[in-house]
Amino acid sequence: MDKLLAVVKREYLERVRTKWFIISTVFGPVFLLAIMILPSLLTMRGMQSAGATNFRIIDATGAGLGPLVAAQIRERALNNPLRNIPGMTRRADSTRSVAEAQVVGVAPEAVAAAESTATLDVMASRIRGYLILDSATVASGKARYAGRNTSSLGEMEQVEGGLRAALLAQRLEAAGITGARADALAKVRADVSTERITSKGRGGSGIASLVFGFVIAFLLYMMIILYGQNILRGVLEEKTTRVAEVVISSISPETLLAGKVIGVGAVGLTQQLVWLAFACGFSAYGLAMAASLGAVSVTMPQVSVLQVVALLLYFLLGYTFYAALFAAVGAMCSSQEEATQAAQPVMMLLVATIILVQPILTAPTGTMATVMSILPFSSPIIMPMVMSGTQVPAWQLAASLASLAIAVYGSIWLSARIYRVGLLMTGKRPSLKELARWVRYS
Amino acid sequence: MSEIALDIRAITKRYADHVAVDGLSLQVPKGTIYGLLGPNGAGKTTTIRITLDIIGPDEGSVAIFGMANTDRGAIDRVGYLPEERGLYRKMQVRRVLRFLAELKGIAAREADRRIDAWMDRLQLRTPEKDWSAAKVDELSRGMQQKVQFIGTLLHDPDLVILDEPFSGLDPINAQALKDVMVELRQRGKTIIFSTHLMDNAERLCDSVCIIARGRKILDGTVAGVRTEHGVQNIALGVSSGRDRVAALLQESGVVERMDDQNRFFELTLRRGADPQALLRSLVTAGVEVQRFELVQPSLHQIFLEKVGATGVEPGVTGNG
Repeated sequence: MDKLLAVVKREYLERVRTKWFIISTVFGPVFLLAIMILPSLLTMRGMQSAGATNFRIIDATGAGLGPLVAAQIRERALNNPLRNIPGMTRRADSTRSVAEAQVVGVAPEAVAAAESTATLDVMASRIRGYLILDSATVASGKARYAGRNTSSLGEMEQVEGGLRAALLAQRLEAAGITGARADALAKVRADVSTERITSKGRGGSGIASLVFGFVIAFLLYMMIILYGQNILRGVLEEKTTRVAEVVISSISPETLLAGKVIGVGAVGLTQQLVWLAFACGFSAYGLAMAASLGAVSVTMPQVSVLQVVALLLYFLLGYTFYAALFAAVGAMCSSQEEATQAAQPVMMLLVATIILVQPILTAPTGTMATVMSILPFSSPIIMPMVMSGTQVPAWQLAASLASLAIAVYGSIWLSARIYRVGLLMTGKRPSLKELARWVRYS
Repeated sequence: MSEIALDIRAITKRYADHVAVDGLSLQVPKGTIYGLLGPNGAGKTTTIRITLDIIGPDEGSVAIFGMANTDRGAIDRVGYLPEERGLYRKMQVRRVLRFLAELKGIAAREADRRIDAWMDRLQLRTPEKDWSAAKVDELSRGMQQKVQFIGTLLHDPDLVILDEPFSGLDPINAQALKDVMVELRQRGKTIIFSTHLMDNAERLCDSVCIIARGRKILDGTVAGVRTEHGVQNIALGVSSGRDRVAALLQESGVVERMDDQNRFFELTLRRGADPQALLRSLVTAGVEVQRFELVQPSLHQIFLEKVGATGVEPGVTGNG
């Protein structure tokens, strides 16, 4: 027992001490955040600066649609909820960002001339773009926009939204509804907030638990790959440096294997705890931010004790299952190149699982979800994800855990045998037939 | 009767295409230096690995100080230096050594004390430089060998097993290793080492065992092996009656080969022949004997003769 502890201690401390671990633990979440946040941040910036500054409305409708559109766009820019985000107020406050679009009323036959003038202006950067409204716009809502900012989704959405609202107001007016009433009708908004219902009652928003489920699946996948390969490298190092023989002259190969799996697993848990702390801190900030937007109220998914226990259980079992397989692969090979190749089948199991995450997320109660959450190679990743989105029947959970437990036992049994023989073997990687003999012999 | 440190009882280990160890038995008395000799692929490393319970034998058993070798208490009393040496390259020397000591049940503090003593003794810790804080990677090959050797002895084992300890050592380190081995023996420890270099064995060992093709060819004390198994050569010089000597030697029936070198005869006696009886018969016959020297064969010669007879299995090298 003391000796197992010695191995665990060595595996843990030698990994935690490395620069690689410190860097990935601290910068991992920063990097992940950057990936997740940066695009949306940039989009928000784009919408923010949208404000339809310096764009021209060429109004050939003769029905006064141009000023109406300009007014609507201006109002939208003013009410832009993103102005309330801390750190973004500076630009929102400046009047430039809500500048009105200049409206040029022209006769239908003069559109072409006005358009070429506007094109020149855009080219000379005097304006960013122009919107052409004509009789077709009034009849069917079709309008054309040309400019430098056509790829900015935020700005285009504002233009489109402004036009839609203006058209609506105009039609309402035509139907005899005017003034404040028309305004009120035009401003109607639709927001569907989703909420999840389980047999225990309501809890959490659907979106949040979807994201939560995906994050969990992805984290589990990453941890298993990262630390499974870490084990593979560790075994390979012991084998190629020949230190293995000294070690197993003092302890049994099984103790060494167990110590390695536990030690590396503890490193993974340490990293996850640090990341979890980061995540809690960040989501607190994120929730505060969302609340200040007055946007869709995001309720955090309510995580039950059962779920936490299941999550931990799946992580431990899933990690052990793959760690044992990776260790066996490491013991079979005598070089890094060989090991990369030999690990392919194990990697395929993981990759196949993660590829199916998306389809399963969209149909978490479907056949594929059920099957994949019971098959032992995919269940450690799929089941926690499915559980966070839907209520999983008890029989399914039991079947999944049972099959995983059996698979873990099998993979440990198998790899302990391969490990025992392979650790002292040198030379050619064994064929399947030879492997079978190793398993039989030890 | 002296106590037995290691008792190997008829162990056999078969692999798919050959038998590595075939019914091998040997006993190592306590407090001796014991040489396990044999050509490459003879089964030395396999025998040692079975002894340490790294691999299990198909048949037979091994006892260390009277305990089965599957008993972890027995293994803790053994220090092992494998032929293929290596350490965790990225680890600090002191941490590696502590780890190896912990695997033998030595607490970190006690281990540290012993590490210091050994590092001093083997000049890995001098006033100028303390290598115990360096990473294994930064050490030269020779220094790594010393560190590994320290790792073998940190738990003060009663039985030390060294597999080809001299391979790859420079003369200075080899001398240091010999010194330590002799000192350990004086402290009552038992040392077993394998080698295919006979002169090392001849100088260091109290007893030897020669194995080939997984079988024991012979074993016993070095002196005993020499007289029992060596071909006995005699250098004979006579001052008178030289003409009668050749006939006398022929008649005696114990001389297998005679080389008349004019002033000397070089005789090879038949196995089991008594040189004293031959001397007596010469003297009785009135030959004036000037020189009658028993030339003892070296282990090397015995090895060549014995193993040469069985042959070295071609192509089988195992791991050593």
